[in-house]
Amino acid sequence: MFSTGSPSRAQTQSHAATPATAATAAQIAPKSETREVIDETGRSIRIPQSIHRVVSLAPSITETLYALGLQDELVGDTDYCDYPPDAQHKPKVGGAINPSIEAIAALHPDLVLVTKALNRLDTVRALADLNIPSYATDPHTVAEILSSTQHLAELLGVPESGAAIVKDLQARLAGTQQRLASFPQRRVLFVVWPQPLISIGKKTFIADALFYAGATSIIDSSQDWPQVSLEEVVRQQPEFLVFAESHASEAPPGIDSLANLPGWRVLDAVKNRHYALVSDAVNRPALRIVSAIESLAKQLHPEAYPVARGAEKDNLTGYHGTVPPLSATALRLPQSFLSFMAPSAEALASTPEHACSL
Amino acid sequence: MQPLTLWRVLARCGILAVILFVVVVVALKFGAVQVSLWGLGRDLISVILHRTSAISTDYGMIVIDIRLPRILLAIFVGAALSVAGTSFQALLRNPLADPYVLGVSSGAALGAVLALIVEPHIALPPAVTALLTPLGAFLGAAATIASVYVLGRREGLLDTNTLLLAGIITASFLSAIIIFLMTTLVSRDLHGMQFWLMGDLSIALQRNLRWILGVTFAIAAAAIYTTAGDLNLLLSGEKEAMHLGVDVPRVRLVVYIAASVLTGLAVSVSGAIGYIGLLVPHVMRWIFGSDHRILIPTAAFGGAIALVIADTLARTVVAPAEIPVGAMTALAGAPLFIYLLRKRLA
Repeated sequence: MFSTGSPSRAQTQSHAATPATAATAAQIAPKSETREVIDETGRSIRIPQSIHRVVSLAPSITETLYALGLQDELVGDTDYCDYPPDAQHKPKVGGAINPSIEAIAALHPDLVLVTKALNRLDTVRALADLNIPSYATDPHTVAEILSSTQHLAELLGVPESGAAIVKDLQARLAGTQQRLASFPQRRVLFVVWPQPLISIGKKTFIADALFYAGATSIIDSSQDWPQVSLEEVVRQQPEFLVFAESHASEAPPGIDSLANLPGWRVLDAVKNRHYALVSDAVNRPALRIVSAIESLAKQLHPEAYPVARGAEKDNLTGYHGTVPPLSATALRLPQSFLSFMAPSAEALASTPEHACSL
Repeated sequence: MQPLTLWRVLARCGILAVILFVVVVVALKFGAVQVSLWGLGRDLISVILHRTSAISTDYGMIVIDIRLPRILLAIFVGAALSVAGTSFQALLRNPLADPYVLGVSSGAALGAVLALIVEPHIALPPAVTALLTPLGAFLGAAATIASVYVLGRREGLLDTNTLLLAGIITASFLSAIIIFLMTTLVSRDLHGMQFWLMGDLSIALQRNLRWILGVTFAIAAAAIYTTAGDLNLLLSGEKEAMHLGVDVPRVRLVVYIAASVLTGLAVSVSGAIGYIGLLVPHVMRWIFGSDHRILIPTAAFGGAIALVIADTLARTVVAPAEIPVGAMTALAGAPLFIYLLRKRLA
């Protein structure tokens, strides 16, 4: 695969407008048929005018592409792109942190989509050496997830469908806001990992999503994934513990056993089983976060949903006293924790934020 | 070597016990939540008198239910690692030896990772589930101890060099398996993984587990202490020790098994905390000399003191956030080690 740069350049040439210039196309063609765009990290990149082959290096981006109806343009994604289920059948290029550059190049993408919080700058540089452009998204809030979706829609030539989706989701968020307007914010602890206790910082999109769901995190840390003192949590006595659920994954001690553990059992939220379980979508900066916000809002503020309460009891009233068995409530880590996957000790030591400052 | 008297041992241990007590009180005082010394004393007396109803405040619950168990865990883990390190340094007659040199921590980490992988796929009562990861870690450690023992024998007996090489190779092989699992099978429990590599004392243990740990620690430490006199003779050489009547193979076996069990226990509940088992034995040897009859108990106290201090710093320097205690011991341990080394040479 030493000549991986050539095929992609050759393909670019084949789009050349005038065959007469084909002889010198190698020098001038890329300029005449590319455009310059600024990605969300402020990098200026050159990409082909029309984009037909896209590789996604983040589960959140894969989800967004499907939502925009661009699944046919998606020619490759990562091992962890599992939503929608069809994404699992796309050609795989490895993990988000350690993708195979060869496998990406072999797919001849017009553009590779990365996200700053998850992918590594090394990956972007290696792709640039092969003349494969990469566009980085960098959403930090729910609003930025929506605007980032709009940017991708414009970039990939489907601005209308992007605008329609974003408008619909904004209306749903506004509806939730309206319902919750008269209720005080719940004070919650978002549990990323119980032992050792990892929660979320105030700058994460999850903290922002909690806000939309009528809740505030008791943890006020500027780190994104702070290891938190249980003492501090006991002092703050959150009203609810929020867990992200997963049906297939590994779990540290399940939430059922928390009531027996020193420290945890002193928490009012544990004594009263005030647990809220939210879909693992909350861990990904993609559009399903709006559904996760709605589900969380219903669990934290059942009084704001009086009609639905009887009709959809199981889904809406949270899990007070009826926590599903452990296998169904296994916890899932946010996307950024995938970076601990890195094969080298060097990459292990780097946090997601530092891993990629594009 | 001065003749050993009970007084010499008790005097040294007594001083260290007083220091440990002071350190524990300071550790109880400081944390993410401020408590007064007066309130602390009152609550502790209530606990001792079993009048738990007298502890009404949240703050009392924080200190008694979170801080105290964690400090006790630090004492246990610190003492276990330090005694294990002292034993391995004597057994292998190598100043670089630490509790992890023979692969026990890698085996425990692998066991913990495997437990994390199988946990969602088997249905167990919650009480057992909470124990599964420490249990997996301990089984991993035990399996490693057994295989290194088999590999480290020469003509049926433990041989120092063979044991050391077998341990190092086993450790590196197990680390390779962990890396392989991390990059292929395991997808999401990677923070749990980091915990096993780094060392952390913040996990809450169930009460029954604490008793098992305490009793096993006492048995293993006592077994090592019975060989203290023989270890002194071993320092002058194996042939010499044998001529002086030491049953060298038996001493090796007892020390190897007991020290490995101590390490396995410590790693199962706290991950691989570095430097305590390497640094504390050296410091204690420089202060109290290399008579193992004194060195082993003083090393136990020294390890406990060092780890309680390190964990208190880990809890407080960035409060209300925390840093893994393993990062703290490495951060403080390496420069301290260099300083002591240069000072001793000067």
